[in-house]
Amino acid sequence: MIKNDTWVKPYLKKYKPLLRMIFILGTLTVFCGGALMFTSGYTIDKSATRPYNILLIYVPVLLTRAFGIGRPVFRYLERLRSHNWVLKVTSDLRTRLYKTLEKDASYFNEEHKSGEILGLLAEDINHIQNLFLRTVFPAIIGYIVVILVSLGIGFFNIWFGLLILLLLVVETVLVPLVSVAVESARKAHQKQIKAQLYTELTDNILGANDWIIANRQADFKNLTNDNIHQLNVSKIQSMSFTQSRDFLLNVVFGIMIVTLLIFTNLYFTGNQEQANWVAAFALGLLPLSDSLIPVSQGFEEWPEYKDSIQRLNGIQTVDQQLPAQTTIDLDKTDIKIDNVSFNYSSESKELITDFSQVIPNGNKLAIIGPSGSGKTTILQLLMGDLQAIKGKITINDVDVLQLQDQRTELFSVLNQDPFLFNTSVMNNIRLGNEHATEEQVKEAIQRVGMKETIEKLPQKYDTLVEESGQRFSGGEKQRLSLARILLQDTPIVLLDEPTVGLDPITENKLLETLFDVLSDKTIIWVTHHLHSINHADKVIFLSDSQIEMQGNPVELYKTNKHFQELYKMDQGK
Amino acid sequence: MIDKRLMRLPGIKQLLTMLAGLTVLQAFVILLQATFLSRALVNSWEQKSLNTIILPTTLFFVVFLIRHLTTLIKRRYLHVHAQKIADDLRSSLLDKIYTTGPKMIGKRGTGNLVTTALDGMDEAENYINLVLEKMMNMSIIPPVLLVYVYFQDIKSGIILTILVPLIILFMIILGYAAQDKADRQYAQYTVLSNHFLDSLRGLPTLKMLGLSKRYTKNIYKVSEDYRKSTISTLRVAILSTFALDWITTLSIAILAVFLGLGLINGNITLYPALISLILAPEYFLPLRDFSNDYHATLDGKNAMNNLLNILEVPDNEDNNELPAISWEISSTVKVQNLNFNYDDTQPDADLHDVNFELSGFNKIGVIGESGSGKTTLINLLGGFLNSSSGQNITVNNHQIPNFAQKNWQKLFSYIPQKPYLFSGTIKDNIVFYKPEASLEEINSAVATANLTSFIDSLPNGLDTVVGEGGRGISGGQAQRIMIARAVLDNSRKIILLDEPTAHLDIETEYELKKTFNQAFKDHLVVFATHRLHWINEMDYVLVMKDGAIVEQGTPDDLTASNGYYVQLINQMRGENL
Repeated sequence: MIKNDTWVKPYLKKYKPLLRMIFILGTLTVFCGGALMFTSGYTIDKSATRPYNILLIYVPVLLTRAFGIGRPVFRYLERLRSHNWVLKVTSDLRTRLYKTLEKDASYFNEEHKSGEILGLLAEDINHIQNLFLRTVFPAIIGYIVVILVSLGIGFFNIWFGLLILLLLVVETVLVPLVSVAVESARKAHQKQIKAQLYTELTDNILGANDWIIANRQADFKNLTNDNIHQLNVSKIQSMSFTQSRDFLLNVVFGIMIVTLLIFTNLYFTGNQEQANWVAAFALGLLPLSDSLIPVSQGFEEWPEYKDSIQRLNGIQTVDQQLPAQTTIDLDKTDIKIDNVSFNYSSESKELITDFSQVIPNGNKLAIIGPSGSGKTTILQLLMGDLQAIKGKITINDVDVLQLQDQRTELFSVLNQDPFLFNTSVMNNIRLGNEHATEEQVKEAIQRVGMKETIEKLPQKYDTLVEESGQRFSGGEKQRLSLARILLQDTPIVLLDEPTVGLDPITENKLLETLFDVLSDKTIIWVTHHLHSINHADKVIFLSDSQIEMQGNPVELYKTNKHFQELYKMDQGK
Repeated sequence: MIDKRLMRLPGIKQLLTMLAGLTVLQAFVILLQATFLSRALVNSWEQKSLNTIILPTTLFFVVFLIRHLTTLIKRRYLHVHAQKIADDLRSSLLDKIYTTGPKMIGKRGTGNLVTTALDGMDEAENYINLVLEKMMNMSIIPPVLLVYVYFQDIKSGIILTILVPLIILFMIILGYAAQDKADRQYAQYTVLSNHFLDSLRGLPTLKMLGLSKRYTKNIYKVSEDYRKSTISTLRVAILSTFALDWITTLSIAILAVFLGLGLINGNITLYPALISLILAPEYFLPLRDFSNDYHATLDGKNAMNNLLNILEVPDNEDNNELPAISWEISSTVKVQNLNFNYDDTQPDADLHDVNFELSGFNKIGVIGESGSGKTTLINLLGGFLNSSSGQNITVNNHQIPNFAQKNWQKLFSYIPQKPYLFSGTIKDNIVFYKPEASLEEINSAVATANLTSFIDSLPNGLDTVVGEGGRGISGGQAQRIMIARAVLDNSRKIILLDEPTAHLDIETEYELKKTFNQAFKDHLVVFATHRLHWINEMDYVLVMKDGAIVEQGTPDDLTASNGYYVQLINQMRGENL
């Protein structure tokens, strides 16, 4: 199935007593179901001989009741235990996934479309839960039952035992394996069509305005027709296959009953006492199909889990090779970027070529350029998240790669979409400095101009920010993150297009506040236009991995015609 | 359990009739199966030879096959028809999206609609499959079996009859109470289970703050809390299944005892007793199935409801009031007293008392703070939103109820902030309004949009695939493709723009501006923006504030009057160098 798997198999050794309990309970459930019918059958067969003493059927009657109660009780307990085990494993899997990703920052760069992949990985763990509950457990319990039933019948007659074993193996091993083999390709095909459908339909709906004004209702509807038809046909094939397979399973089961009827007729008709067991055998077998058919159904779901298991096993983290770590004095930090080049791999295009820059302590540097020109890459290189292929970045003449232990004291970042956790405002801000007092948090909030907004809320500082900070507007989220940065109090602050998507008035006000409260920090500010450029000591225009123009904005305005044009356009003059 | 609206879907009655027929057949086959099995068992019990059981055993096997064959046919039939129903529904859904337009898309969200049309449809299909089969089985099989058991042994019949109300009572008391609790806690689950994804997304932030390592403990702790709360809910939630199981198995046990006593007393013989005993589990089976898959059924029901609710949204009507016209230099649009409200329950209209006039090939700017109603105005002009009543709109002296007129929508092209490129070739995207355009026309439009050199640089040229899964295209190039699309169709002499350059970097914007200006020639332009430089290109400006037009006039007049316009521009401009 999957070689070298480390995300599923090893966990089958965890919490062993609980796991053992699950299998015992599961087997007992099936056993009681069969035994109930078995003893019932015996009871009435025995009764039909009209014994003089009613006490003769006392034991089977008692057993009937016991099994009747046993089945639901064991089933109930088994379901609880198996969920408990699976959720325990889930906690372990989640912690492991988190730890793995925590080690590797590269999972969060743009190349990986991080949002999507993280969603997928989180979903994969849910799939593993289902794999255990719906495939692994029913199969193992099914196999235990197969062995017990075959042994039971084999006890009376070895050949009949073997015959029953053979039939059971067909039901629980052969048919499931064939069914996986047949359905795997089809399921993969369906998944692929479905992904295409998602794209097409999203196209349709996001572009609905365009379709409407183009007056193309039929095209709008027909765009997805082909794929829907293909998917429908394939789904019908899958369904037909499943139904035929279930039918086959039932036929085999029917043969088992017939075999048993013949067996009991041949071996249990010596005397009346023996004959009283005849109905018991046949009736006891009937409920078994409840636990045999799910084995196949569980196997059938395998293709759905396979991708998840492969994806989790495929997570490879690159361990950054870091030089020996050291620390520097944080009072004054001078940054020097010396002839740095970078690309993600030797095949891909260079994002940064021979980039040099000196950023003295307290300087404000703005970087402007089209998307894909490597602006964000410069920030990542500076923090040491990425390593240059050529050249060196130093702070106070120490390579940034030697300062990774100190990075959270050196840098803070405000980006386009600052992340707020689904907890209170107070908790979110305090993440900047866990030792901050309530007063310090409130002061930071006041400095970023959010005091009034927060205190107007019914729960004030305890207000939940909701999922991804929905409670607040874009500008407000930026301000809250800024408060966090104030508490973090690092000498270098990196701004990665913090005002994209804000209207100009909000933008002006935010930048005003930002440069005001961060006046003593070194700031590297990636932006896309010239709004509030007066705050920068120096501005760099990047284009195609090169610096196209740079200088102090006031100077540039005086001496550079192109800059003048751009600035005038930005100001609407 | 079952929505009345489901019963009104086309084709469902016929489907139900067919299902009912097959289920009755199934019920009788189950009877025969029990009869033949009992006969074989009784013969063996009487210690008769193998020969005596060959006939009943063979018959048993045959009806056993017929039984499962019936199930097979029934399920196939059901699946094919459920798929057909789901397909029709999806098709109606797409029509509905088209005819109700962006208002609904805005309200429901694109992601939600896509999910409804795909996953939701699967769930709905599954729901039809599950609920119809279960309902049929439950309403037909037990009664048929019960009548037969009465014929075999009245006492057994009575026992089975008494137990049903008992089961239902238990299900109500335990099941639904528990299920209700489970449903309520379901929401809490989602929060806890989302916590993990939230943490993964926030990992870069945590790392930046130096907290990511310590946070590992929190992941484990929350996950364990989730486990504990899930188990405690589950303990109650699966009680209903437990109760049902328990009553079923206990009934069989009780029945066995009664039959045993009857046999001892000689009130009954073995053959009917065995039949009753074999039929007892079959009698309860449909009931047990009915309570299984509770969550799949619930999800399906919700998906179905969601879908049917969308289909009940009224269509835009009266969109054929405008005769076919073309937009000329002499054309005019007059708008008086335009009002609009996104949410009818809110007292304050989002747009109120809007009056303006558009004519010829003028360039009209719309400016205002964010939230002042610029986008709403553009969406109303495009007919993407429908205004409330009371307005007076005339186009070339034709009075129209709203802008959702088919013949009005043929007159303009629309360029939003983030244009959506369809997955397809660049060419497909350019000829979107005019699929029959010649290559010559396309090349000329490409030239106007200044795309020629870019397209020449691509190995596949115009046939390069863009959009999702295709070649990534920069924001600037995407806007150029939109311009080419707009100028390609000569009959569209109006261009509506909503912040087309706000998200672009200044140099790209600078380059793009020339192209836009060129495309604007001989067009009526309505341009919503907060990038100030565009205002200088406009002949006339509508200044919006809080959903109303507070000033309008030429830029010069507005500057001269030194009102809100001047104040707004200064605020937007910020500090100078």
